[in-house]
Amino acid sequence: MPQAIDFQKLLTLLTFDRHDPLLFGSSLFLFFFLFVLIVQRLFSNQKALRIYSLLFFSLFFYYKAAGIYLFLLVFSSGFNFYFGKLIYTRKTAFQKKIVFIIALLVNLGLLGYFKYTNFFLQILSDLKLGTIEPLQIFLPIGISFFTFKALSYVIEIYMEMLEPVKSFRDFSLFIFFFPNVLMGPIDRASAFLPQIEEDNPITKEDVGRALFLISCGLIKKYAIADYISLNFNERVLDYPLRFTGVENLIAVYGAALQGYCDFSGYTDMALGVGLLLGYKLMDNFNRPFKAISVADYWRRWHLSLSTWLLGYVFKPLQISLRSLRKFGTAIAIFVTFFAVGLWHGPNWTFIFFGVLHSFFLIFGMFTQSIRKTITDKLKITGTKFHHFIKWFFTFHLLVLTAILFHSPSLQYTINMIQQIFTYFHPEVFPQFVQAYTTVFILIVFGYLVHFLPASVEEKAQNLVIKMPIVFQAILFAVIIWIVVQFKSAAMMPFIYFKF
Amino acid sequence: MISDRLKEVILKELELKEYDLKDETIASEVPGWDSLNHINIILAIEKAYGIKFKGLEILKAKNIGDLQKLIDSKNPL
Repeated sequence: MPQAIDFQKLLTLLTFDRHDPLLFGSSLFLFFFLFVLIVQRLFSNQKALRIYSLLFFSLFFYYKAAGIYLFLLVFSSGFNFYFGKLIYTRKTAFQKKIVFIIALLVNLGLLGYFKYTNFFLQILSDLKLGTIEPLQIFLPIGISFFTFKALSYVIEIYMEMLEPVKSFRDFSLFIFFFPNVLMGPIDRASAFLPQIEEDNPITKEDVGRALFLISCGLIKKYAIADYISLNFNERVLDYPLRFTGVENLIAVYGAALQGYCDFSGYTDMALGVGLLLGYKLMDNFNRPFKAISVADYWRRWHLSLSTWLLGYVFKPLQISLRSLRKFGTAIAIFVTFFAVGLWHGPNWTFIFFGVLHSFFLIFGMFTQSIRKTITDKLKITGTKFHHFIKWFFTFHLLVLTAILFHSPSLQYTINMIQQIFTYFHPEVFPQFVQAYTTVFILIVFGYLVHFLPASVEEKAQNLVIKMPIVFQAILFAVIIWIVVQFKSAAMMPFIYFKF
Repeated sequence: MISDRLKEVILKELELKEYDLKDETIASEVPGWDSLNHINIILAIEKAYGIKFKGLEILKAKNIGDLQKLIDSKNPL
């Protein structure tokens, strides 16, 4: 006999639960997304209904993660749509500037209130300037991402790089769009809005590419990031002094890979889900661990954020301080990377991470000619050996600073580095491989795939695109089966959700 | 159309002997024109033409053609 539907349970599933957002990869998301696709298909010839239904589903998706703070998202959309127009229609540069500053203050003020109030109260308290109890402030998930997305719209209008969009409906879809509302990519209005206007049909190539991206995302997140985190990284990161230096070093490599697979896995899934809905989102990664300098790394990692800060913070500052030449650039780098750290959250480890990266870049800038002279004298400039040395140093700087993202506090990071340099014990390595064989294989596999030439990924993607749909379905089923084998009973939230 | 004078200023600053600078050429296509050199080029142009750009004006210039138009608007002769 068919079982009756438990409406109470269904209602609970569909109600806001801050600990249970609609994670890509969860079975509830799968049902939700299938339903969204069916509705989109039903309205394939009615653009307006397709967009309105997508707005509704996006709002539901956000409600499931943030509850009543859904209104903050709606406010952000309404406010920035109106202020975009207001900036554009002002007659004088002065008026434009005033309206723009108000828009900036409101956007950053809201972000600051929800994200940083307690951090500043804590600083005041630490500096003995007063003891104020921390406030009960709920952090609306994704606020850093959608605020920056909305800000790009008003900034580009102010910079006269974009004209305001006429339709509030279309602008709202840009802000609410569920594949990127919680964790990016931080898409630009100038790239997203024309896609709504053009309304291009979804091609077979889009479907193949989406399946490839979603498969990669699932493997990265659930088979690599979560597995190595739960089974090894966390244990070392939580108690670095209980492990030898060699294990700490492997955890350093593992945590960097975990961070990359977690975030780029989410981005892959977001891109794939977006493609299946007919929208191309901005890519966020270009093999960051292949970087041969810290500057190169920022051209490969979290591109939607780094290009945002480059275009709207670094360049304006650098230009306004140009009379100071290199020192002006150094100040612009410092401010930009302080913002990178702060954007990630109200935590000293993040700020320290940003400041450290700014020092690497400033140091690189001031020593550029000295380094060139040295490598010229050694006759290694531009050689493969030179490339390797640059990569080796960059890679280790990156993985060591990445620990700041995973450690509970600065002290834990210091402990890990101390263990590596003072208690290395390489003889433990075979025992580690024996005890954590799967973890070891996954770390090696993750890095191997990462360092493969980009052409290999392209070929694999084209292979999936050209496959008959039946084979694509079989392949996707196999990927899901693999992921289920790895997936732990308790799902791990995506690391970047907290930002 | 990029003037010979502007070409000369840019190539000298980048220490390039020859490079075909067109209206649609963007900074990242030109060897050595990175974010650090960008500032040196802007300063060199300001000095050579005796003009001063506003920050927003430079940010709006998408390619060398835009830069040429900006210079022309400040220096009509």
